[in-house]
Amino acid sequence: MRKRMMALVLASAMAVSLTACGGGQTTGTTAAQEAATAAPAADNSQGGAAEQAGDGSGLVYWSMWEATEPQGQAIQAAVDQFTADTGISVDLQFKGRTGIREGLQPALDAGTNIDLFDEDIDRVNTTWGQYLMDLEDLAKAVDYEATANAGLMAACREVGGGTLKSIPYQPNVFAFFYNQAIFDEVGITKAPATWAELDDACAKIKEAGYTPITCDDAYIVCMFGYHMSRLVGEPKTEEIVKGGLWDDPSVTATAEAYADFADKGYFSETIASNVWPAGQNQELALGTAAMYLNGSWLPNEVKDMAGDDFVWGCFSYPEVEGGTDGTDAANYGAQVLAINKDSQNAENAFKLICYITQGEFDKMLSDLSVGIPADSNNSEWPELIACVKPVMESMNTRYPWAAGGEANADMTPIIKENFLKLCGGTIDAQGFVDALKKAGN
Amino acid sequence: MKRNRGMIVLFLAPAVFMFTVIFLYPIVRTIMMSFFKIDGITDPLAKWQFTGLDNFFKLANTSLFRISMWNLFRIWLVGGIIVMSLALLFAVIITSGIRFKSFFRAVIYLPNIVSAVALATMWLQYVYSPKFGLLKTVFSQLGFTSLAKIQWLDNDHKFAALLLAYCFGMVGYHMLIFASGIERISSDYFEAATLDGANKIDQFRYITLPLLKGVFKTNITMWSVTSVGFFVWSQLFSTVTADTQTITPMVYMYMQIFGAGNSVTERNSGLGAAIGVMLSICVVAIFWVCNHLLKDDDLEF
Repeated sequence: MRKRMMALVLASAMAVSLTACGGGQTTGTTAAQEAATAAPAADNSQGGAAEQAGDGSGLVYWSMWEATEPQGQAIQAAVDQFTADTGISVDLQFKGRTGIREGLQPALDAGTNIDLFDEDIDRVNTTWGQYLMDLEDLAKAVDYEATANAGLMAACREVGGGTLKSIPYQPNVFAFFYNQAIFDEVGITKAPATWAELDDACAKIKEAGYTPITCDDAYIVCMFGYHMSRLVGEPKTEEIVKGGLWDDPSVTATAEAYADFADKGYFSETIASNVWPAGQNQELALGTAAMYLNGSWLPNEVKDMAGDDFVWGCFSYPEVEGGTDGTDAANYGAQVLAINKDSQNAENAFKLICYITQGEFDKMLSDLSVGIPADSNNSEWPELIACVKPVMESMNTRYPWAAGGEANADMTPIIKENFLKLCGGTIDAQGFVDALKKAGN
Repeated sequence: MKRNRGMIVLFLAPAVFMFTVIFLYPIVRTIMMSFFKIDGITDPLAKWQFTGLDNFFKLANTSLFRISMWNLFRIWLVGGIIVMSLALLFAVIITSGIRFKSFFRAVIYLPNIVSAVALATMWLQYVYSPKFGLLKTVFSQLGFTSLAKIQWLDNDHKFAALLLAYCFGMVGYHMLIFASGIERISSDYFEAATLDGANKIDQFRYITLPLLKGVFKTNITMWSVTSVGFFVWSQLFSTVTADTQTITPMVYMYMQIFGAGNSVTERNSGLGAAIGVMLSICVVAIFWVCNHLLKDDDLEF
């Protein structure tokens, strides 16, 4: 009996220890990423940065990128130049996306010496808001805003609770990206600005034998969120999604608009089974589909498959009849750099931020990652995304990710399942609304 | 022999200390956390808000969590039957004296040493592709047009697709455990049975199976523990946002602790801890049932 009890205790210990860590199996990945990035970080420590970092003279910088990514390479170059110019050593640690998401807060809570870090604008300012230093004075001291993107700086202040707690770099905007060659071939001369114009464009593309719109499972809820937000605005969309107010007429209207497009055959035949990146790689990049709602990182992601002759077009999600929001609203933002409020090296850390986000290295980051430059002096954008410029410059209202469509984590997979079915034509608008109501929360 | 208490304490102390720090403390902390609302996983105690059993009630009332538990049950039961059956079959074949035994054993075990990311990419972007996938090509060539048209990754088929891909990689691991169990059985029993006129099926039924009870117990426990920790394959089959057909409690727990997808969503590590507690209760229950159903104490060989 005692043996059995012991066995039970040991089994439960094994199970709890396995589950207690949350995503235990990712730990291996994270550790591997850390191991992979430790080498370049050490290589570039230049005179024992790691030793100096903790004593107050050097900087410790945790980055969300991998050392091998274009962004990581540009940041590494900026850091090297910074160290060469100032003599200040930097312990640059590339943590990767999951590494920083899982590890930053525990590290800060444990008092790890981290002077600056980067991640998405919303996560840094909202989830990690309590760890951020106010950067207003530091920015003013070097007249930082003279060459910064005013809209993004305003966005940083907005999410920072009215004050500047982060500095944007690598800006992005979420909009429809399209294959200009298909548009030209079927005679669409003006990018759609309204839902009716999008309908017309899709009809022409369909008639010419192409798939008008494709998407992947990872981004499908964005279409739902954008349509809802065009109809009733983002705050109301978020209220509906969080509160489960599925009887709101805007939900039915959105479902009907997409059911109508599905009936007309505007979506890819495989839209219901496209697991990312199947749609963007095998349909859009290979030229069989014309449009895809995605971020401005898309041309870079598919450039090797799309080829050099692929010409990109971009337009903001169209206005819908009777809706509150126009095409000047979208999810635009950036990765941001922030300084730990407990940092003893704030001035030096801000100096490094200037190296990364301004001038030569902002240009390098933009070129290497085919991304939007943050410095307004770098007015020449990479050719692949030149089409994004007018869209980015037309923005006035900022949506959060998916325009509020993914604001309720308990509902996102259920919206996703049923919106995929709706676009795939296996359920109708009423079926979509009923499924959300049935799920409840 | 005279017992030296001092020495016993001295030699046991490091192990007891390590057990307490590495096992006991996380268990106690996790159980405690499950009764609180906690935003960040490392928030100090002062920030914890006591909510009693609310986390457990909230989980019970959340349809997505119920879906994730249902998926886990299906993975454990259906996947378990498939994996255990195939593993046992292969183990019996491998240990039956066939030629090139090591080669076949290595081939069946091979998926275990390939990265799950590479395997999942192969399944998702090649085998199941509705455009040029392996299944589509094979079914088309065999003339099964309706099967060739199936979109294996749509909502109706995604769970089966995930399960097939996962089981493919797990058979080899459990086969090795079964094979080592079979090899432990003395060949004398089989020789004696052969002389008495028993055929291979009878030998399997009356010798191999009864003497493998302990190994079954080990395999079922190992399978249950890995099923409960089902995470990577789920993430790979639904990148960025979770999916109703692939979500498991572990993925739900991750969403609660670190946020879901690209959105900044509400976090509650207490809810995550409650999931951990519930899962460990499940594993203990399975272990207890196995211990009662598969008694092997009466056999010595």
